[in-house]
Amino acid sequence: MTDHDHDHDHDRTVKPMVDEITDFEVLEIALRELCIEKGIFTAEEHRRFTEFAEQIGPTPAAHLVAKAWLDPEFKKLALAEPMTASKEVGVDWMEPTGFGTPSDFTAFQILADTPTVHNVIVCALCSCYPRPILGNSPEWYRTPNYRRRMVRWPRQLLAEFGLYLPDEISIHVQDSNQKHRFMVMPLQPEGTEDWTEDQLVEILTRDCLIGVALPKAGVTTNVITDTRQAIHPGTAG
Amino acid sequence: MSTAAERAAQLDLVARLKSAYPELPDAPPPDLLDHDRITAYLKPVHDVGGEPDTPMKYENKQYELWEHMTYVICEVLAWRGIWLSEERRRIGNVDVGRAEYLGLPYYGRWLLAVARVLVEKHHIGLTELSERMAEVKARYAGGLDGRTLEAKPKSEGDGSGVKRNEHHKRAVGKGDPQVYAGQAGQPKFKVGDAVVVRELPVIFYTRTPEYVRGASGEIAAVAYESPAAEDETWDRPATPEWFYVVRFNMSQLWYGYTGTTHDVVQTEIPEHWLQAAK
Repeated sequence: MTDHDHDHDHDRTVKPMVDEITDFEVLEIALRELCIEKGIFTAEEHRRFTEFAEQIGPTPAAHLVAKAWLDPEFKKLALAEPMTASKEVGVDWMEPTGFGTPSDFTAFQILADTPTVHNVIVCALCSCYPRPILGNSPEWYRTPNYRRRMVRWPRQLLAEFGLYLPDEISIHVQDSNQKHRFMVMPLQPEGTEDWTEDQLVEILTRDCLIGVALPKAGVTTNVITDTRQAIHPGTAG
Repeated sequence: MSTAAERAAQLDLVARLKSAYPELPDAPPPDLLDHDRITAYLKPVHDVGGEPDTPMKYENKQYELWEHMTYVICEVLAWRGIWLSEERRRIGNVDVGRAEYLGLPYYGRWLLAVARVLVEKHHIGLTELSERMAEVKARYAGGLDGRTLEAKPKSEGDGSGVKRNEHHKRAVGKGDPQVYAGQAGQPKFKVGDAVVVRELPVIFYTRTPEYVRGASGEIAAVAYESPAAEDETWDRPATPEWFYVVRFNMSQLWYGYTGTTHDVVQTEIPEHWLQAAK
């Protein structure tokens, strides 16, 4: 190293002296204004979709899996007709447009783990993710790094999340790269047999439903918790 | 105003941005490029699966307001029939080219795709957009200084003359891909069939990943009918075909795979990319 041996990275960190509007903020506002002025969409339509997008999150997905753990009949429904089952946790995949959230399509499938199969999802081409029921994907899920490696080195990558799987368990990586959206239904962990739905939901973290973690009694947070702060944060995500 | 030194410094910065093979000159003569390198240059840049990379620190990220607003604009444009998601995915994830693909934030590319589609489809003039950007920037000269970021449209258009696609009406009440159901005839393959992914030449766009082309797999599910991504992405009528979830054994798919012999990767592939294994 040079005499400049300290751990912040000032060449690559944008920290303006004044609180300037950023390039993408300028472009976004300009585009939105022109779209509304030209009637491409209305301010009301934009507001409606914004409200819809602000209320999505991982809670319905956790409830869906908890219900499936508690009720074998519901589990059958969840695996056979996942979009019907989604309605029972308050998610209608056709909302808010009548044909769904366009980027997520309306082809949902739940991948159930078994004692010998562990499922994990990735989109090697972009960031396809079951957004209506699991909320926005985490930043790391969208990185080229995760996408490059999960389809080829799943055991190494899962180990980086602290998930070491024995050889008896097959890993099924689902590269969700077209119109299907997938979510993992992990096995109910030991020691939770008499738990209520709400208790089970606590341990069904987003990471468990992606497949980079397994639910465990007493663990209620995601593996990745470090969060980068926004310059001008919005209210969602 | 920029100074001559500032202009030179920015050009120096751009000049260090590399997205080419360092052993080749810029714009090489044809005899210096072999088939593999041409394929590499023409590879749709979103297709990163299986490219070597090393561990990095994974983080969550708080949303910038503009990122959330960008997501909303993209979805509203699809809702209102300006584009299909498949057009967005190509424009923002592939057409941007390698330097922007790897160099810009995720939603930066989504936002550029919005600008691109509106300009390409003649909804907005590029000068009109540049002028509006300059105006927005001027509004916030001197910094936000406690003000919020706000769009202030000067009027609200009635939109009756805006050209929109059929899909945004046709798909209502059905969904996508359900809107294409019943249009592809009988599926050629069934669950359990052994298939090989064809090695079709690729330019511009595909969602059949490079890492499975030429590989043998097995049909895990007959998924749905839809036009293939490379056909659906151009805003013109396209013929639906069957899609399949295809399962690949990773120990056979990957040279030097270090996991077990029963680990698999599954991905969705349209029928015209598949042939029966001999």
